[in-house]
Amino acid sequence: MGWRLPLRSLWRNRRRTLLSLAVVALGTAVSLFVLGFLENSRFQIQESTVQEYGNLQVASSKLWNNEADGYDYLIFPSDEERVTSQLRTESGYRGSTSELQFPGLLGTGRETQVIRAIGIEPENEVLDFAGYAVAGRGLERADTAAAFVGRTLAEKLSLSVGSVIMVTLTTVDGAYNASPFTVAGIYKYSNERFEQQVIFVPLAFAQRLLNTDGVDRIVVLLDTIEATNPVASRLAAALETDGTDLVPRTWDDLSPFYRQLASYFNALFAFLSLAISILVFFIILQVQTLAFLERTREIGTIRALGTTQREVFGLFFSESAWLALLGSCMGVGLGAVLVGAFNAIGIQWLPPGTIEEFTLGARIEVKTALVPFAVSLAATLLSALYPATQASRLRVVEALRIE
Amino acid sequence: MGHGSQFCHARGAKLLDAQRLTKTYRVGTETVYALRDVSFSALQGDFIVINGPSGSGKTTFLNLIAVIDRPTAGEVFIENQATSTQSEGQLAVLRKTKIGLVFQSFNLIPVLSAAENVEYPLLLQRRPKPEREERVRALLAEVGLSDLARRRPSELSGGQRQRVAIARALVSGPMIVLADEPTANLDSKTGEAVMDLMRRLNEEHCVTFIVVTHDPAVSRYAGRRVRIHDGRLEEGEGDGVAAPAS
Repeated sequence: MGWRLPLRSLWRNRRRTLLSLAVVALGTAVSLFVLGFLENSRFQIQESTVQEYGNLQVASSKLWNNEADGYDYLIFPSDEERVTSQLRTESGYRGSTSELQFPGLLGTGRETQVIRAIGIEPENEVLDFAGYAVAGRGLERADTAAAFVGRTLAEKLSLSVGSVIMVTLTTVDGAYNASPFTVAGIYKYSNERFEQQVIFVPLAFAQRLLNTDGVDRIVVLLDTIEATNPVASRLAAALETDGTDLVPRTWDDLSPFYRQLASYFNALFAFLSLAISILVFFIILQVQTLAFLERTREIGTIRALGTTQREVFGLFFSESAWLALLGSCMGVGLGAVLVGAFNAIGIQWLPPGTIEEFTLGARIEVKTALVPFAVSLAATLLSALYPATQASRLRVVEALRIE
Repeated sequence: MGHGSQFCHARGAKLLDAQRLTKTYRVGTETVYALRDVSFSALQGDFIVINGPSGSGKTTFLNLIAVIDRPTAGEVFIENQATSTQSEGQLAVLRKTKIGLVFQSFNLIPVLSAAENVEYPLLLQRRPKPEREERVRALLAEVGLSDLARRRPSELSGGQRQRVAIARALVSGPMIVLADEPTANLDSKTGEAVMDLMRRLNEEHCVTFIVVTHDPAVSRYAGRRVRIHDGRLEEGEGDGVAAPAS
């Protein structure tokens, strides 16, 4: 009977079939929605991580491995040029900028605060944070002793645009140095701790204060996030061939928070999928077992007519395969509708530890939809194994006795 | 139609041989005999009616010779081939190629139409579609149901359902048709029509029919009559009388 008998059996028991389809579809839709939500959150965090770190950063292995002795990890202009020449050969290369970070003590006359200063090239196209200004402006090329400070730090120390702060630091030679800076602008950022600890200053002025022409890292921006790993591999190989100790690190390597979050999201989705699959599995198992019991006599009849055990198994299993296929497809459709509705509502949320609300959303792509589709398909097919096996193993004469 | 006249020259050849069949069941600690040491044979073209009261072992006997159940002792030979050593798969092949079954409750597949029910055994044999269509059409015409081919079993009367079941039993050209109480769920007039049909098909197709019944009225169709009582078999009137030649 090929496809006819299983489909007609499903049609004959419409109520049971609809229940099964609803269970599979709902399970798939919920899984898809959860995955879409997590994917969207991950995507947003990925984007902001790349905004913060660039696609990759190149620095001395001493810096990466915390093996630095003073400032012996600095990259000097000849090596900087070597890195950028190599990067220019990459088609996905958008630009790079250099940074020089140093710890310091920020004083206002009344209060002091330990800070991390980042010397950046003002108005660079890669990473200058000017777009985050909430008061004043970002750093400009003409600036010298100007600082761009975080909102939380500004609030804590009662700073405003035009305030003068004193930054004390140690030069690369180990001498103490200090310089006043004028607050050119105040930035906001999604991370409160970052806002409180990090100030931006012009790179050239930072080098002058530290008494060096070196930088500690080169931040690289690429056209896409996907290009990161291939470019990093090629760059690492080229730098190794050149005999430098410079090593590229990708944005996800640089952000332990992202790595932890990605693992957490994966675990969360795996757990939810498993829970939903178990639920779908047992409901379909129950429904199919009931169907098998109701059709015992029919099974006896077709076995008596010469249908083999394998054919009976195939018959019952293909019924579940249809349920699995139709239910999972419907679930993907339903999930897409749920995601669309959720995105349309646009719920605002303030994540803990952050200072800015963002819009909750879900994001689905074909590859995202494939996972819940495949999981529901597998759960439904697995749940059919037991009743299909039981049906195929029935003793004909006993099955025929059932009224 | 089918094997009928082609095989009639073999009338009288031994098709089925049951030797010393015993079937027991365990009820608690007790062993209950459903059949005791029953031997029986059927020849091509026979129309055999097996009578007996309820619980006498008729259906058990039919199940054993239909190879849907296995005896506790004894052997069933079909075309001189022992069946006790055959696997479930081999017995399924035997059933679909050599045996047709007609049940008391018709046992049609409810989701299939009359024609599709008749077609089912041919699908199991993977016969080509044109052949299937031709045979189904011919069989339905023979049992007088050409006009009802598309109806589902639930849309047919009891007599019509049993005729569909008979067509299904014959469609793949079996050597033997085994019918278990085929008239039990029918009124007497419809029952007679069904028995007339089976007898006619027996004559025209030269197929052996073995009908199990507790209805004495069915016995008059018998070419040979056998009685089962308390699990033992006794040959009755008409013993050894073959069905009339076609």
